[in-house]
Amino acid sequence: MSKTVTPWLDNLLQEIEGIEIRRKDSRRVRIDIAADSLPTLLELLRGRAGYVHLSAITCVDWIDESQFELVYQLWSYESQSLVSAHIRIARDPGVYVSVFDLYQPAAFFERDIHEMFGVYFEGSPDMSKFILTEWNGPPPMRKEFDAEAWVNETFERKEYQPDWLKEITEQGGGIVKSPEEARQKKP
Amino acid sequence: MRPENYQAISHPPSNEYELNFGPNHPGIEGNYALKVKLHGDVVVAARADGGYLHRGFEKLMEGRLWIQNIALVPRICVPDPVPMEVCYSMAVEALNDMEVPERAQWLRVLQLELSRIAAHLFTFGGHAATTGMYTTMYWGVADRDQILDLFEEWTGGRVYHIYNIPGGVRRDIPAGFLDRVSHTMDYIESRLPDYDNLFFTNQVFVDRARDTGPMNQQQALEWGVTGPNLRATGLAFDVRRDDPYLVYDQIDFDIPTEAPGDAWARTLVRRQELKQSIHIVRQVVEKLPSVSGPVRTQIPNPLAWNVPAGETYTRVESSKGELGYYVVSDGGDKPYRVHIRGPSSMHAVQVLEQLAVGARLEDVAQIMFSLDACPPEVDR
Repeated sequence: MSKTVTPWLDNLLQEIEGIEIRRKDSRRVRIDIAADSLPTLLELLRGRAGYVHLSAITCVDWIDESQFELVYQLWSYESQSLVSAHIRIARDPGVYVSVFDLYQPAAFFERDIHEMFGVYFEGSPDMSKFILTEWNGPPPMRKEFDAEAWVNETFERKEYQPDWLKEITEQGGGIVKSPEEARQKKP
Repeated sequence: MRPENYQAISHPPSNEYELNFGPNHPGIEGNYALKVKLHGDVVVAARADGGYLHRGFEKLMEGRLWIQNIALVPRICVPDPVPMEVCYSMAVEALNDMEVPERAQWLRVLQLELSRIAAHLFTFGGHAATTGMYTTMYWGVADRDQILDLFEEWTGGRVYHIYNIPGGVRRDIPAGFLDRVSHTMDYIESRLPDYDNLFFTNQVFVDRARDTGPMNQQQALEWGVTGPNLRATGLAFDVRRDDPYLVYDQIDFDIPTEAPGDAWARTLVRRQELKQSIHIVRQVVEKLPSVSGPVRTQIPNPLAWNVPAGETYTRVESSKGELGYYVVSDGGDKPYRVHIRGPSSMHAVQVLEQLAVGARLEDVAQIMFSLDACPPEVDR
């Protein structure tokens, strides 16, 4: 059993247009490929090279380049190596095809990415909300979404003054120093 | 889900009805719900409903320094927090091209295995509780506490240790600590026959767990199942051996497997792994005195630490399966993106939805616990 990607696979992969293969170490291979060719690549890797396990799909928001990067981590139980396939898609409209017919675990990751980044996967079995069922705002993992600003806009800051604390304060106890006072530097 | 957002599954008038299973129920270590459709007491459809423990870890991590995230990651999986720390630290080390001192690697292995033992004791205790055998659960939790005592002495924290940092570990073990580890291992090993008598060979457990929630190896591979759940279908795959990290390639251990792939097999694999973990801990205890040197490398000022731009996917074998971190740096003092691939994100959603169908309602909790799903890993 070879511990690296087999040479015939290397040769086969070279035939795909616009592909860039980088070997990070004996067990890790990085492949950058055009978005259109990814399903073909995955079909090859799964069908011919034994990369049957999809570890993860990750979305990275490159807002400055107006692109989303999708990273597919594939593991082969036979050759014991991990291939990561990287593609870039346009940030707007942010649509890509599902790979569910090749890898069933894709359903979870695609649903998650749709929820968190707003990327729509055509052909994915379920694009409904899973984690953020109560959320109506923009996809929160996008870089332009500022969680702290959203909290400041949405919620009011209130002072904590329950009745029991008032009673204690009147008797001279309670919170001796307010948080604002505590934060001020000593002269 | 709030009541006003509840939508019933529409179906024509029939003998089927719908039941909200959770989010608080005996089947899982956290809050997680299933919407099940039943005919009599047999499940005909199941739909996972997560999000009750969503705390936005991935977003929070983008706003914190590399070193600050160490205090955040163990919270992602409460029963087995150490793999989170180790995996994140390994990712930052990979980005920095940083070597970890050998002693630190052995200490990490010791911590990982102790955490695995604690998590397995918790899980099969929980599985026993779903079949009505509460004594096993009390025993499991009490014995797990022995390990938490060790962690408390070692790191100051019982559950969240915040002990592994990029570049190594925070401090060395206290004097005489290894003796106490050996003592605890002896104690836990001496308890295993009791567990066998009480639980694993108990006819109640065997009858109820056999043929409950079965999956074959092909299904497991298609559904992305990893860890003990995959090994319970007969495939001897373990990240520790097949994609080794730290010093696992210097350690001798077996990978237990079972063929049937049902709830019984999954729990039995954990029972055997417990023994293997004790075996590994003993090897570490024997080895550690001969490995001298520092326990961490010099790292730059952690408050102004710009990690070189790059990306990495690191993974470890947690007690639940393959745990992966995909970390991207843009050269700044904070991560650009962190994606956590928890093993439970497969087990608790797609796999559970499939395995629950055909089971009886009273077995649903058992199937969940036999999959050892950890909801905070799904929600993140």
